[in-house]
Amino acid sequence: MTTTHAVISCLHANLAALEAVLEDIDQQGISTITCLGDLVGYGPQPNEVVQLVRERAIPTCQGCWDEDIIDGLNACECSYPSQLAEKRGHRAHHWTADQLTEENKAFLAGLPMTLRKDQLLFVHGSPNSQHEYLLPDMNAFAALERVETAGVETLFCGHTHQPYIRELSGGSIQVKVQARGTKTPREETMTLPMRRIVNAGSVGEPRHGNTKATYVVHDPISGDINIREVDYDVAKTCQAILDAGLPDVFAWRLRHGFEYAERAEDASHVCER
Amino acid sequence: MERWALVSGLNGDADLYEQLQRDLKRQRGVAYLFVLGDLIGPDQDCNHLINRLQQPKPGDLQPHCIYGWWEDQLLASCGYRGEQRAQESRLEHGETFQRRLQQGVAAEHLPWLASLQYGFIELDCGLIHGSSVDVGDSLDESTSPLLLLDRLTRLDVNRLFTARSARQFRLELSGGQITSCVKDHSGEQSQEHVVPKRSVIGIGAGSEYCIYDPGSDHVSFQSASANSRHLKQGFA
Repeated sequence: MTTTHAVISCLHANLAALEAVLEDIDQQGISTITCLGDLVGYGPQPNEVVQLVRERAIPTCQGCWDEDIIDGLNACECSYPSQLAEKRGHRAHHWTADQLTEENKAFLAGLPMTLRKDQLLFVHGSPNSQHEYLLPDMNAFAALERVETAGVETLFCGHTHQPYIRELSGGSIQVKVQARGTKTPREETMTLPMRRIVNAGSVGEPRHGNTKATYVVHDPISGDINIREVDYDVAKTCQAILDAGLPDVFAWRLRHGFEYAERAEDASHVCER
Repeated sequence: MERWALVSGLNGDADLYEQLQRDLKRQRGVAYLFVLGDLIGPDQDCNHLINRLQQPKPGDLQPHCIYGWWEDQLLASCGYRGEQRAQESRLEHGETFQRRLQQGVAAEHLPWLASLQYGFIELDCGLIHGSSVDVGDSLDESTSPLLLLDRLTRLDVNRLFTARSARQFRLELSGGQITSCVKDHSGEQSQEHVVPKRSVIGIGAGSEYCIYDPGSDHVSFQSASANSRHLKQGFA
């Protein structure tokens, strides 16, 4: 029996993609799966996806979409790149909220913010918030702070829809400290530990430049982490999006594997809060 | 260049504020006064001080105020931060504590307190009661440099003035580096990042305050009570 485990994220109500990824995981003989949230939103099968995660009893933490569906668009919408994108997001929110059964809403409401296993922490966005993006080019010291403050060696996250493995190593910080009443500053060096951030990408709405669903496989013994890509029936999900009356752009994004945002209206885009 | 005075933790003490104003008149070149929160406190009639901060006496250095931890607690308990925060405040501190705070501040002052900002950005400096994360974030000279660097990075400032810990200190990030290796579909990329030269300065509280010269980056820690005895302490 293998000790490796799979980490999936951002399923976004895309049943075909989730089924393909679970099949790929099963074929490798992996029985431990962790999900980093965003089971719903954008996609056309929110109930089916939540139901499948429940049936497989996959430990799951709450994503920003899962939270918003329960609490009602309470998150800061600054993450939308344009006003039109924000309007589309709201349409998808209301559609999803109407579709979800009360039982599935209760399941999403009961999801924990984080899951911890030994020296591994699983979150949707960051340990601070489901809405914080840990992008691969984020300031390296700030990224390390997120892992170190959480008290773990490896942080698994999603939210960006772009899979990556980031290793932060060989770090140190020198400081001069002077307190009131002391004449000579005290000099110290802090040696920083090696830490990793692993982004699982997205099962249901990849935005890393191609249309394949992504997830990661981690071997806790060797420490190896592999980003997996899985083909699925993209056309089937795109058609279901159109049939459901969701914004066409969501289907366009699945066909291209990119974020889509208009630029003309961006200048006036303001945060709702 | 004109120097700044930074004070905090007045806790409703109008006499202390008078003492600080007198002390600042003796300091050369101080043109700006920043009050980094905790204007009010429990078990004090804070109204006299709030009146003076809003309507300075002739000759007073004009105070520029932000809110601090006590103001945040008071405003939360009075519903200015939403019902959820009010409930959290009740659960965390109890109703007796809330009453003690509310009794010291007339209701007519609440809108002014609620209008105060979280912090100021002046030149390349952040002036905040706690930190860029939370008004209650307490930073001092023993705080992890990694965490301090994060607080500076979030604001993208070179100097962060903080008051919450009530400590007087300057911690300068003077060097260091880290290697970041990112592996994704486009391949593997390794980069060296160096620690930027930035500082966190604890300004003290009450009669202990800080004077900053943005022209020379000189920080001087003062004590109004000690100065009144003709003593001074400070360093570059």
